[in-house]
Formats: sequence, C-alpha cells, structure tokens
Amino acid sequence: MGALLEVRQVTKIYPGVRALNGVDLTLRAGEIHALVGANGAGKSSLVKMLTGVHGPDEGEMRLRGEIVRFSSPQESLAAGIAVVHQERNLIPRYSIAENMFLDRLPTRHGVVQHAKMREDARRWLDMLEVSFDPATPVQRLSVAHMQLVEIGRALSLNSNILLLDEPTASISESDVDRLFKVLRRLRDQGAAILFVSHKLEEVMALCDRVTVLRDGKNACNDRSLEGMKKVDIVTFMLGRENAVSDLGVRSQRLGERRLELKSVTTELGHRDIDLYVRAGEVVGLYGLVGAGRSELAKAVIGSHRVITGGEVLIDGKRTSIGGVLEALRKWRIGYVSEDRKGEGLILTHSVARNTAITIWHAIAGRVGLISGQREDSAIRPYVERLDVKVTSLAQTVGNLSGGNQQKVSVAKWLAADTRILIMDEPTAGVDVRTKGYLHQLVWELADSGVAVLLITSDLSEMIQLADRIYVMNDYRVVEELTNSREYDLMSSSIMNAIQIDNDRVSVPKPAVALA
Amino acid sequence: MSSVVEKEAASARALRAARLLSMIQTANTGGLLFVILLLIATISAIAPSFLSPFNLFALTRNLASDAIIGFAMMVVLALGQMNLALGAIGVCAVMVTGYTLEQLGLPIPVAVLAALATGGLLGMVNGLLIVGTGINAFVITLATASLFTGLMLIVTKATTFHNLPPEFSALGYSRVGPISGFLVVTLFVCGALFLLFNFSVLGRQILATGANIVAAGLSGVPVNRVIIVAHALSGVLAGVAGVLVTAHLAAALPSIGEDWLLPSFLAPLLGGTLLAGGYVSVSGALLGAILVSVLQNGLVLFNVNGFRIQFFLGLALLAAVGLDRWRTVLVQRAEKRLT
Amino acid sequence: MTNLSKRLISQDWFPLLLVTLVGALLLAIISNSFLSAYNLFVMLRILSVTSLVALSQMLVIAIGQMNLAVGAIGGLIAILFGGMLEVYGAPIWLAAAVGLLLGLAAGVLSGALVAYTRISGFIITLALLFVFTGLNLGITLSIPFYKMPQALKDLYDSYLGPIPSILFIPVLAAGAVSGLLYYTRPGRHMLAMGGNPAAAELAGISLSRTTIFTHTLSGGLAALAGMVAVARLGTAEPTIGADWLLPSFAAPVIGGAVLEGGYVSVTGTMIAVVIIVLITNGLLLARTDPFYVQFFLGALILATVLFNRWRSSVNVASPETTSGRP
Repeated sequence: MGALLEVRQVTKIYPGVRALNGVDLTLRAGEIHALVGANGAGKSSLVKMLTGVHGPDEGEMRLRGEIVRFSSPQESLAAGIAVVHQERNLIPRYSIAENMFLDRLPTRHGVVQHAKMREDARRWLDMLEVSFDPATPVQRLSVAHMQLVEIGRALSLNSNILLLDEPTASISESDVDRLFKVLRRLRDQGAAILFVSHKLEEVMALCDRVTVLRDGKNACNDRSLEGMKKVDIVTFMLGRENAVSDLGVRSQRLGERRLELKSVTTELGHRDIDLYVRAGEVVGLYGLVGAGRSELAKAVIGSHRVITGGEVLIDGKRTSIGGVLEALRKWRIGYVSEDRKGEGLILTHSVARNTAITIWHAIAGRVGLISGQREDSAIRPYVERLDVKVTSLAQTVGNLSGGNQQKVSVAKWLAADTRILIMDEPTAGVDVRTKGYLHQLVWELADSGVAVLLITSDLSEMIQLADRIYVMNDYRVVEELTNSREYDLMSSSIMNAIQIDNDRVSVPKPAVALA
Repeated sequence: MSSVVEKEAASARALRAARLLSMIQTANTGGLLFVILLLIATISAIAPSFLSPFNLFALTRNLASDAIIGFAMMVVLALGQMNLALGAIGVCAVMVTGYTLEQLGLPIPVAVLAALATGGLLGMVNGLLIVGTGINAFVITLATASLFTGLMLIVTKATTFHNLPPEFSALGYSRVGPISGFLVVTLFVCGALFLLFNFSVLGRQILATGANIVAAGLSGVPVNRVIIVAHALSGVLAGVAGVLVTAHLAAALPSIGEDWLLPSFLAPLLGGTLLAGGYVSVSGALLGAILVSVLQNGLVLFNVNGFRIQFFLGLALLAAVGLDRWRTVLVQRAEKRLT
Repeated sequence: MTNLSKRLISQDWFPLLLVTLVGALLLAIISNSFLSAYNLFVMLRILSVTSLVALSQMLVIAIGQMNLAVGAIGGLIAILFGGMLEVYGAPIWLAAAVGLLLGLAAGVLSGALVAYTRISGFIITLALLFVFTGLNLGITLSIPFYKMPQALKDLYDSYLGPIPSILFIPVLAAGAVSGLLYYTRPGRHMLAMGGNPAAAELAGISLSRTTIFTHTLSGGLAALAGMVAVARLGTAEPTIGADWLLPSFAAPVIGGAVLEGGYVSVTGTMIAVVIIVLITNGLLLARTDPFYVQFFLGALILATVLFNRWRSSVNVASPETTSGRP
C-alpha cells in the first residue's frame, strides 16, 4: 500500500545541535508504526515537525503523495493529523467533554451545546472503556486519566493519521490493554498510527513496523517487526560500535558510605528505598520514565518535604535535610536537574551569575559585598575546565547551545565543591562531543573523592560510567547490580529486573501525579 | 565538525552580537539621558523660568521623593512581583513621623528611625504573607493596601499633624545651591541600591529569584527569605519617601500616598526594569523619574492644561516600552542569525 | 437535605452569600434606618455603578490579564456623555449609544495594542490610563458638565414596580456576561485562554482575537458604568472613575476569580459587590468610624483568598486524584 504520510531526508538544526540529519519515515494506512530512539535521538523533533510546530530545514514531507509544509499546529490538525503529545495540553477547569471538543465546540444558533458534547464524549470514553462522567473537570483527574482524555480526543477527530507520543507513560496496564484493542481496531479500519515509545515490550506487542532513530539519523528504517527481538531494537537504538568515549578502566578508590538511604518512603509513593553511595564511587540509578528517580533525588536534597519514613544518612550519621539550602551549605549535596532550561539554569542571566549562584555567599567579602571581578575569577577555572565555549563570562546562558548550557549547569556544582553530586540525565539533548566531555568529568569527579549518583535512561551511558547500578521501577528499588561493564550481560540483567518486577505486580498500576 | 574558518566566523559573529546587546543596553540609559537633556534644552528655551532657582528647587524637591517611590517599587519588580501597598505603607510611616514628632516630642532622628522601622515592618508583613500563603503578590498587597490604610485611619482617626517642630519643617527648605537638599537623600538611596544590585549577594539573589524562582531555589538561594527582605526593603523606602513628603508639606496628612501607585511604576518601567523580574536598572529608574519630573514641570510652565500632562505621560510610557520591545526583538533576531 | 439545597451549598459563592445575609442581618439589628426604603434604594443605586465596573474588570481577569484603564475609560466616556447632553443637547439614547461605541473603541485599542505589540497588558493599560485621564481632564479642564437633562434624572429615579429601573442595566449586563462566558464560543475561548493559553492555541483558538474581543467588552462595560454614574450624580464629573481601580479588582477577587485567568464567577462577583456596598453603607449607618471600611475591605479580600486557597487544596485530595500510590 502506498504511504499515507512520508518524511524524506529531513534535517532540523537547533543552535549547536543537529537534531535530525537526513531522516526518513514512512507511515502507511492500516499499519501501526513504532518510532523508537534513546533520549535526544530526535524523536520529539520529528514529531514536532509532523505536527507543524517546526518546519524542516531540509528535506520534504508528503501527505498522500503531495508535498506539504505546516506552519502551525492548526494546519497539521486541519490536514487530518491527530496527535497526543507527551505533555498534557488541557484546560484544567474545563470538563472532559469540553476539552475533547475545544477546537470544534458544537453550537446551535450560537449557543454552545454542553449536553451534546457530554454525550459525544461519552461515546469515546466508552470506546476506551473508561467510566468517567464527561462533566468532570479535568483538573480533578490523575495524570493517567488526563492522558486517556487526550487519547479520546485524538480518536474523536476520526482522522486517518494518529500520532501518539509516549501515550502509555502514565496509564495503568489494564488501560494499556484497552487502548491497544482500540488501536488495533483502528488499524484494521485503515488508519495509519505512529506509536512513539521507549517501552519496547509494548512496541513488540502492538506494532507492525519500526523505525529507530539514533543521534538524529535512521538506525533502521521501516523494518517489519516480524521475527525481531527486543534486543535487536536495543542494538539499533544504542549501537554498540558507537561507544561515545572509551574511558578505559577506572581505578576505584572507594571510601566510606557518604550517602545512604534506608527504607526510605515518601509521600510521592517511594517505598523501601535502600541505597548507598560511597566516596569516590559512581552509582547509577536506572529506570524507565515514570520510575520515580528524579522525584527521589529531589526528595533527598530536600526540595520538597516529602520523606515520610526511613533514614537518610550522611557519612554514617542520621540526618534530616530541611531544604535545598541546608543540603548545599551544610551537607554539600548538589543536584544537576534534568530540566536544565526550567530548573537548572536562569536563562536570562549570564554565565558568570549562573555558575557562581551556589557560592555567592562564600566568595563575598564582609557585609555581603561581591564584585563582578571576584565572581568572574572565582568561577573562571570551572568554566574553563569544562571547556564551555563562550566569548565572555557575561554572555547570556539562554543563547548558548544545549551542550554548553548543560556544562554551565554542571559547572556551578563544581564551583560549590560538593561532596555528593546527584546528576539527573546529564547528557540529555547534548551533542556527542559534549557527552564525551561530561562522561570524562563524571569519572574525574569520582576520582577526586566525590560520591556521584547518576540518574540516566541511557543504558550505554550507565554501563559505561557506573560502578554499581540500582534498578528502579514503580518508585521502588528492585535490583542492585555490580557493573561488569559487559554491555550485553548488564543490559539484559537490567531489563530483566524491570520485566520481572512488572510481571510481579498483578494489581493494575495506579496513576501517579509526578511532582 | 566545522572548519577553522567557519569557527572563526562564528566567534566573530558572537562577539558582534554581544557588543550589539551591550550597546543597546547602554543605549537605553544613554537614550534616556539624551531625551532628558533635549527636553531641558527645549523647555528652558521656551520658558526660561525653568532654570530659575525657584523652579529648580521645586522640581528637584518633588523629584527626590518621586524617585524614591519609584525605587521602592523597583525593588519588588526585581522579584517579578508588585507592591500595591506602597502608598499605604508610606502614609503609615508619615503618621508615625507626625505622631513621634508632635505628640511624643521626640527628636528628629528618632522620628525618622521610627518611620523607617514602620515601613520595614509593614513591608515584612507583606513578604511573610506572600511566602506563607503562596498567594499572588498582587492580591496580597491589594488587600494589605486597604488593611494598612484602614488601620492608619482607625488609629489616628484621620487627624493631621501640622504642628511639627520647625527644625523638621526647615528640612523641607534645605538646599544645595539652587537644588533641593532632598536630592542628597535620593542620590544616597540610588547609590545604595546600585551597590545592592550590582555588588551584593542579596541583590544577586533577588534577581535570581525574580528570573527563575525554581532554579534559584534548587541552586541554594533562600528564596523565601529573599522575598521577605525585598518587601521589607520596599517598605523602608516607602517610609523614606513618606518622611520627605512630610517635611516638604510640613504636615503629616492622611491623604499622602493616595496617588503614589501609578507613578511608582512609571519611573522603573521607563528606565528599563522588567515587569517580569530578574532585571533592574537603578540608573534607569532614576533617569526615568527625572524624565517624568522634567516633563511634568515643563508642561506646567507652558501653562499646558495641567491635565494634558497625564496624556503625554501615557504616550511616553507607551513609546518607551514599545521602543524597548522593538529593541529586544532586534537583539533576538541578531542572535538567531548567529546560530 | 433536598437536592436543590445541596446544589446551592456546593456552589463556590455560597459562603459569600452567607456572609452577605449575616452582615445584612447584623446591620438591620444595629441600625434602625438600614432597612428603610430610602437607604435600600441608595444602596441599590451605588450597586449599579460598582457592579458594572466589577464586571468590566472581571472579563479581563478571565483571560488572565488586567485592565488598569477601567476607571479612566469610564471617566472619559462619562464626560463625553455629559458633554453631548449639555453642549449638543443630544437625546439621551443617542448620547448613550455613542458613549457605548466609544467605550468599545477604547477597548479595541487596548486589546489590539496588547495583542500585537506583545507588551504586557499591565503596561499597555497603565499607559492608556494616563492617556485617557489626560484626555478627560484636557477636555473638561476639570470643570464638570452641570446641566444634565431632567429626563436623565427622571430615568435614574424611576422605578419598575418596586425596583429602581436603573438596576436593570447591571442585572442585564451580568446575565449577558454569564451567558457569554458559559454558553457562547467566544466566551468559552476566553476562559480556555485564561486556563491554559498554550493548550488553547493548540486547539486553534486565536489568542490575539480573544484578547481584543475581551478588552472591547471591558471597555464597553466601563463606558456603561461611567454613564450610569453620570445619571446617578446628576453631573458629568471628570473625577468619575478615579477611584474605581481597587473595587474593580476587589469584587471579582472576593467573588472567587483567579487572577491567573481561567475562572471567574459572575454570581460571586455580584455578591461581592453587594458586600462591598453593605460594608460601606452599613458602617456609615452604624455610625462607626468610616475608616473601618478600608480596613474591613482589605481584611475581607485576604480572608476570601485564603479561604479559597484552603478550599481548593482540600478539593484536590479526592479519591480520583490520588497523587500517591497504594
């Protein structure tokens, strides 16, 4: 069958990063096509292009054979491409029904027909076998249910082309089953469905064909999933020959347990968290999206007072961390946020200010006075050490490339001379060279005695860097592994641990509002 | 990735963009200064009495307190918030001054201190409410504006203190040459704020909190403390302005501060302070205040309908902000062409 | 408990209604003259201006913006209205129609500036506040238009049955606004924009068009308020609107509006207006110091906002919204 939606040799360049480099994608009617790739591989850029958020810099897009170019999401929608985005896009106080039909509110003589909307919404909710009252304000729903509402909305558009970006990230297993039933039925009716996901088990279970992206290029294009095994997909995703940097072997000089969690529980749902990080050690915390890793990190540094039970020990002594300020100044714990633009950096301020923010109080003279010069000279060593490409320290961080921004967000913790550093997805959305740099940095930090807790969804990065790996799933630690650095062995051990844990849970996963 | 030549070209462009940006930022201050000088030249050409000692004195005396009112708002704008209770805090400070001087008969320094302390205390209350309840500063200060004014009226029963000690009223006439002595206070405050925002930890923390409160918090900035202190400072400055006005009028009136709110935004906004927070221009706010005062004064001298002044002020604000916006767009485009 | 009373109690504005009734009761007890026909009608008339002002601001709050020029527009239209009546001897309906149109035009200007310059609505309306006030005072030279036609006075004093007919204007306006916000597409677009502008845009809602539409309506309502004020005062004073800013925010906020946008309550706002008028009037009658009014107003705003916040945090913890895990 001919392609319904096609993308040929598209390239998309953001400042400093080639997000897409000559990518192809083919979507046919009557097919569920998986789009797979690691973080930063280019999946979301491709989806943004298909949905009209951005246009390609090179290459073309064809809809039913005709060349198209969308300059806004509305155009893409009008062309018949229904999408469920990764992030929620709902009006909090509006009902389920109204959110579903917001772009085409039914009116009669100018009067909005609320009752009709509720009726129509009911139909789509029934199809997903979801029993909400369509009049419920969306803000009262859990994140999982919100996702279902958006899926319902996409379905209600009755369009031939459906793009789903991580649609099962928050929903329970039984809801996933129902969704898949619906998707298969749509496929049989001739729809073309693009299923973007990192959950390979789901991909294997549902999809017909797969396209894998890696570093902005096709690692595989439009392959049939018949006869493929999960490990084949993983190989495409990570490409063993593409080891980012060969760091060799690290001589570990391990000290005492610097950070330890014993049976820690949190308000957010963490249970029985046991883990420790020794001085000079790189400990990995692996898990899929939604496993609760970042939430745990933030709980540890005291960002929200959510620890409800268990013990947090620093250097063997039981402590209670009252807030980020205390974590930083008293215990010298740092946290490199996974959201560098929103939480890790102040985009409108200069490199100097962003880097020195953690040590202003330390470099100030009496009376709390500080000069720009002193600030610059205090942080210049760290900026240089990280090889941040700036013409001057006064440059605004928001204008730097992703890689350089990430370096700055790490630099401020170097400046703070932390003893414990939690790094959350430190190389997400970062170019290959910077990635290498940062990997080297992680080892240097550990060598200098820092206890590093590395959170990453990048399996090859994890296996390369970590000495020990904790596997998290569903807000619990399910496995602790010593890293043998053998890729095949480690990756299958980790994946198995998650699989076993998933199978073990017979109760449908409840939804969670991620902090 | 790219050749040496390309890299060179790229860094040259980067340098140019950085220079462009700093030029434009200086242009703001420079532009204001230019407009002010132009205005002064024009006005004094048409109405030579502009430069008369009498007029200069009156102009600078009003300017002095207006500038400080602008500074009081600027400090809170740095946080990305607003202080609608400025006038209310000011009038409370005014009443405290009057009471201390007239009823208690205490010396002037004590009265001034009491006024500043009152301002700081009320500002702190604002900060505590904002931090404690997590409610929008706009709503909180809207409420406390009424609360504080009401409290003042209840306590003082709206009396006026007009028998202030002559030494205090004499302060209203202090002068340095033809210029009001109040400007000394203003310049002192200006210098202190300049120091605060450019050379102090607290200033940097305020700006960080205003620019991105989450990132600031995660980087160890004590954001709650910072918010409270900033509001307290705003209150103190409102108190300073109140004391000056009281000396100027030689009376503590309960109507003082009623018309402070809108002018308090004008000076900082004209001067380039961002409503969104994270960036202030102290010198800009001062120049903004000067511009407004000169404009107002000039229009009065021209016997322009005292009321058309409002009209022109509005246009001036629109023009200034429009220009600023246009500049930002230009810079953004320049930086985009870079990458 | 009957179904109706259950529904009544669960309304957001129910606590406000209680406060109003209790307050009114107290005042009736404290002061003999509170319930006198005269006093009631004085209050009702003050209500008519304030409620229109509150509605004007409330619309803009719904989309998450502010209109600082509410009083300035009202004042400008008020004197233009008076001017047309006095200087040109225009018939009332004509002057009113022109006044309304001009108010709408002022709103269009406001909205267009906000939508197309991307400058914050705060600054735009702040600047327009100056511009319109300046125009106002420039035209009148601070001298009111005194000679309002008798017909206007008569209209204001007239009754339809036991109710002052002037009250129909705000009541109709409130009804229209309510209908707009809940039953028309533009209204739903407005609240959607206020609730989540990004999501609204993705759903095809034009933020600029919605902004202009909202500001236009706001200008129209402000103009209405100005003209009613002229009818009430009997003169077209240039000071009309000068003190509208605070009540224009206080009433919607007390009524439960969320300043970030996305939620306003017409009923709540109207009840809040009643409360504000009650406080002002009642305290006067009770011969307490009029100074308490300001204090109570501020305390009331704080109390309401705190209460609403408490209530919404309690609401979120319902079974459907578990943020934790079993």
